[in-house]
Order: sequence, then structure tokens, then C-alpha cells
Amino acid sequence: MGKFLLLAFRNVFRNRRRTVMTLIMVGGGVTGLLLVGGFFAYMYNGIREGSINNGLGHIQIFNEEHFNRDEVRILDTGIDNWRQVAAIVKSGKHIRGIAPRIEFYGMLSNGVKSSIFMGSAVEPNAEKGLGFSTNITSGRNLDSQTGNSVEALLGAGLAKSMNVKPGDSVTVLAVTSDGALNGIDVQVVGIVNSGMKEYDDRYLRITLPSAQRLLQSDRVTNLVVGLDKTENTDSVYDDLAPRLHGQSQKLVLKKWIDLATAYKQIRSLFNTIFIFIGVIVFFMVLMSSVNTLLMSMLERTREIGTMLAMGTPRGWVIALFMLEASVLGGLGATVGLIMGNLLAFLIDHSGIHLPPPPGSTEPMLFYVLHVPSLMVGSALLVILSLVLASILPAVRASRLRIAEALAHV
Amino acid sequence: MDDLVNVESVSRRFPLDSSPAHHSAHRFVCALSDANLRVSAGEFLAISGPSGSGKSTLLNLIGCIDQPTSGRIRIDGVDASELQPNAMTTLRRKKIGFVFQTFNLIPVFTAAENVEYPLLIQGVPRDERRRRTEEALDSVGLSTRAQQRPDLLSGGERQRIAVARAIVHRPALVLADEPTANLDTHNAKQLIDLMRDLNIRLGLTFIFSTHDARLLEHTPRIVRLIDGQVISDTCVEGVCHG
Repeated sequence: MGKFLLLAFRNVFRNRRRTVMTLIMVGGGVTGLLLVGGFFAYMYNGIREGSINNGLGHIQIFNEEHFNRDEVRILDTGIDNWRQVAAIVKSGKHIRGIAPRIEFYGMLSNGVKSSIFMGSAVEPNAEKGLGFSTNITSGRNLDSQTGNSVEALLGAGLAKSMNVKPGDSVTVLAVTSDGALNGIDVQVVGIVNSGMKEYDDRYLRITLPSAQRLLQSDRVTNLVVGLDKTENTDSVYDDLAPRLHGQSQKLVLKKWIDLATAYKQIRSLFNTIFIFIGVIVFFMVLMSSVNTLLMSMLERTREIGTMLAMGTPRGWVIALFMLEASVLGGLGATVGLIMGNLLAFLIDHSGIHLPPPPGSTEPMLFYVLHVPSLMVGSALLVILSLVLASILPAVRASRLRIAEALAHV
Repeated sequence: MDDLVNVESVSRRFPLDSSPAHHSAHRFVCALSDANLRVSAGEFLAISGPSGSGKSTLLNLIGCIDQPTSGRIRIDGVDASELQPNAMTTLRRKKIGFVFQTFNLIPVFTAAENVEYPLLIQGVPRDERRRRTEEALDSVGLSTRAQQRPDLLSGGERQRIAVARAIVHRPALVLADEPTANLDTHNAKQLIDLMRDLNIRLGLTFIFSTHDARLLEHTPRIVRLIDGQVISDTCVEGVCHG
């Protein structure tokens, strides 16, 4: 085997120019896959962390009823005694903080005009502690320490529709948990632009105590749990689930991935694009390598005839060609890995920015992650491609008529 | 004594151009016609004749790298014409050594690695391979050139390496097709002398083809072919066997 590997290795370098061209092609394919895949991985990470830091959190806790039926009355599928649940959660490892939330809806009035809203009530300090960001275009964020005054953030579209600006007062009307109509006056302290028009046209955010007073309920819709690292999500989930079991209310935990629909859709789309690129690289390497390996086989017809005449099993001839293709693929993959990682390093340190993606006004940093699984996958892909490309020349070589092969000029 | 090679009424025809213009009777060329030959173990035999007389065809058939159109060939008691391809490969690997007109050494292997190759495909252990390779190189007087690649060797040296490769696994039969055709007279004579020496010293059976009458002076048995037919089989009495 050692001698055959040596023979395969030396055969690869017989025609150096052709080998170099093949290595450039194979290496180029691997480099392309590493750069595209590494950039996609960076993008996934960005979207993932963006989603988590924009308020999704790593884990969310709900009352099981929340997913079984629609609310008959506001918060009747919410979490009771949420502070007790939060205390249990907080005693676990890797927990950075917990933010209670209430999702509600109602009507907003400026005295002249009314509009419906979709509201969210938060504890500003808890949100801030978890690093959840809100894009405020004018005014300021909610403040937990404002005494009895009720503050609100409005979406840009809703504020424009209601013709209000920071400092103005509006009335928020909602149905309480008892089914009665209740209203509170709130002061608009800031305008929010999330980048999604439909969302901004209905967005209203107030503090949790204000919402509980408005809705006449101590319940919350859910608890958002923030962790020290996204990678710890699974372990914390596995730790929390049994500890929350056996409460008077049945609670369910949802990981961020279960709730990040947009992330999953984007990832699925880009994964499909990446597979498509991978298939193109695979066939590009395959087709051009078939030609290279066929040329190599034709040039060595007499030599193969000699080997067969001496009693070399035909299977060995096939194995030799496939071994040569594997060596070529391995070398090409190595060249590609070196080139790909080098280029990725240069790109990462160049500070190049790409135009803003849809829904964003910020230019996107062009950054390529070094993903070990991607390196292994790309290398295996081109090696497999070359081995497949070697089948035709290998079989042809093994089927040569010895007498004719020996007379080949 | 049993025959090592027994060629019985062997013919070999090759198809010509298959265009319809050719009459069916002329679609084939007969390279060998009804040839008979018996060779005993230890013989040193030359097949001579002009170009196109069927020498290479006969050697290819004896070497089991071609199949006769009719007739039968036995090698060491085995009917080669009835063997399956794999069995024929095994027969060649174990019983036959080849020396080619154009040397046909593997260019990326060193001289020693070329000589070692037949042992490699027979699965001989490494140490044994090394020992026998050294012996074979020594027997052709090229131990000092063992680590040279073929392109750094002279024509005569390359052919001696080819002879070492052909005998390293001690085959029952060594076939050499025009082994001197690419050598000058001096090297050609030296090669024939080397083969004869190996024939006598090691008892190996050699069959070689040549069209050079000067190389036949010391050959104990000469089979002459013309137009695919054996026209004479001359044996110098008492010296046919090494």
C-alpha cells in the first residue's frame, strides 16, 4: 500500500503544469466555498444575535395554555405569580437576567383621532440589563423610576398617524382582565423605528406596572430569559425544564430557535443558495478532472499495459487511479484551505463594508468566519468529486487490451 | 521431461478494416498460422524472423497477454486458453517474466523499485522484497544504480534493469520481445550474454525474439518464422538446455 501511495503521489507530479492547473481549480473551488460559507455563517450569527438582542432572548417561558387556545380575556393564558417563577429561573447557571412582558392590544386616542395598537409592556431596567436594544429615532427610552406618570414609546408610523411627538399626551384604552373598558393617559417619551413598517404602524410600548394597572391584572404574558452565551441555550433549557415542572400552573419553555421564524427562513434560503454553489463547484471540479485524468491515462497507456502484463490485478489499476485522484483532491483541498483561510483573514482585517441589507440602514461588515466543519466538508466534497471523476479513466485503464496497450505509441 | 510451454496448432487472426468494400474473406490478416512449439524448462530459445513474421504475436500468446483464434497453449501444464481473465493474470504474475523492446520501466520508480514491483504485486513481505531485489540487481551488475530513475540510465542499463525485473520473482518462463532492438550491437550482445548466463546459472527458461542474425550465434535453439508460419526449429544437439 505504501509503495502504491508513493506511486500515486509521484504520478500526480509527472506533468507538473497540468497538476498545478488542477490544483488551482480544485483549490479555487474550496476557497470559494470557504469564503461564501464563512460569510453566510457570519451573517447567520449576526441575525441570530440580532434577533436575540432585539428582545427575543435565549429562552422564553409561557403558560402552557398560551399555545393551546386563544385568550378569552386579556392575560387569561398568562403566567401567575411571575416573580416566583423568575426567582426559580434566576437560581440557575448561565442566567444573565429575566424580563417579564405583557402583550396586549387596544385603542389609542389623541382626543381628535383614534387608532388601534398592538402593545408591549416591559420592565425597562430588565430589558436594559439584558442588552435588548430599541431603535429610538427621537426622544428617549422608557424610565422605570418616573413615579406615577405613565410613559409610552410609539412606533414611527403610529405617531405620524396620530400626529404626536415626544412630550405629547395620548389616552390608551384597553379591555381589562375582567372585561371592563379602562383607560389611562400616557406621555409619549420616544418614537421607535424598527425598520418594519407594518410593525411601526401599530407599535406601542409602556412599562409593566402601567400595563398591569390598565389591564387590572398581576399576570404577565411571558418571561424572557437572557443567558451569558447563546451556546448555553440547550444546557439551560435542559436544566430549567424539570425545575419548572410541578408548579401550580403548567409552564412551557421555548428556545430562541423555536421563536425566530425569520432567522430560520433566512438560514434555509441561504443554505439552499450555498448548496447550489456547492453543486456547481462539485460538477466544475468533476468535469474538468475527468478530462485531466483521461489525458493522464492515455499518456500512460503503454505503462498500464506493462503493469497488466506483469500480472497486476485490474482492480489494482482502478485503485491506483482513484488513489491518484484522492491525492490530487487532498492536495487541492489543502491549497484551497490555505488560500481560503488566508483570504478570509485579509478580508476580516480589511474593514470592508457591504451595502445595507433590506430593512436596515446600517452598512454590513464583510466578515468571513473560519468554520471547521465547513473546511472539512469542502475538502471532502472536492476529494469525492475527483474520486468520482477518476472512475471513467480508471475503468478504461483497467480494461485495456494488454497487447494493444503495449504497442501504443 | 514435461513441456513448460506447449503450443498446439495455434493460429491468430486480426480483423482488418470492417468497411463493406472488403470482401469477407479478406477481413482478417493471419499473423500466426497453425504454429506448433514445445519448450522444456531450462531452455534458451530464440524466435527469429523478419519484421511481420509473427514473432511478437507468438510471444504474446505464450505470455498469455493475447488469446489465440484457434489452437491451444499450455503453460506448465495449465491450458491457458481455458483460463478466466483473473486466473490468467495470476498465471502471468507467478510464472512469467517479461522483457520489452522499449524497456517499459515505470518512469517514476527508481531502478530498485521497478525491480521490486513484481514482488510487490505478489504480496511478498518487505524485507524479503528488499533482499530479492538486491540479488536481482546484483545478478545484472547494476547494484550501484539501484536508486537511479530510468531516465538517468543508459539504454543498456535500462534493459538490464528490465531483465532484473523479469527474473526477480523466479518465474518459470522469461519472455523477451526484441529485447535488443533499441540497443547498439555491443549492448545487444552483452544483454544476450547476460540472459544466457542467467539461464545457465539460475536454470531460468528464456524465449526471446530477434531479427538480428548476429545475436543467434551462441543460441542453442532457434525457431524461424516467416509469414506467420514456423519454417524451422533448429537445436544444437546437447546444448538446448542450460
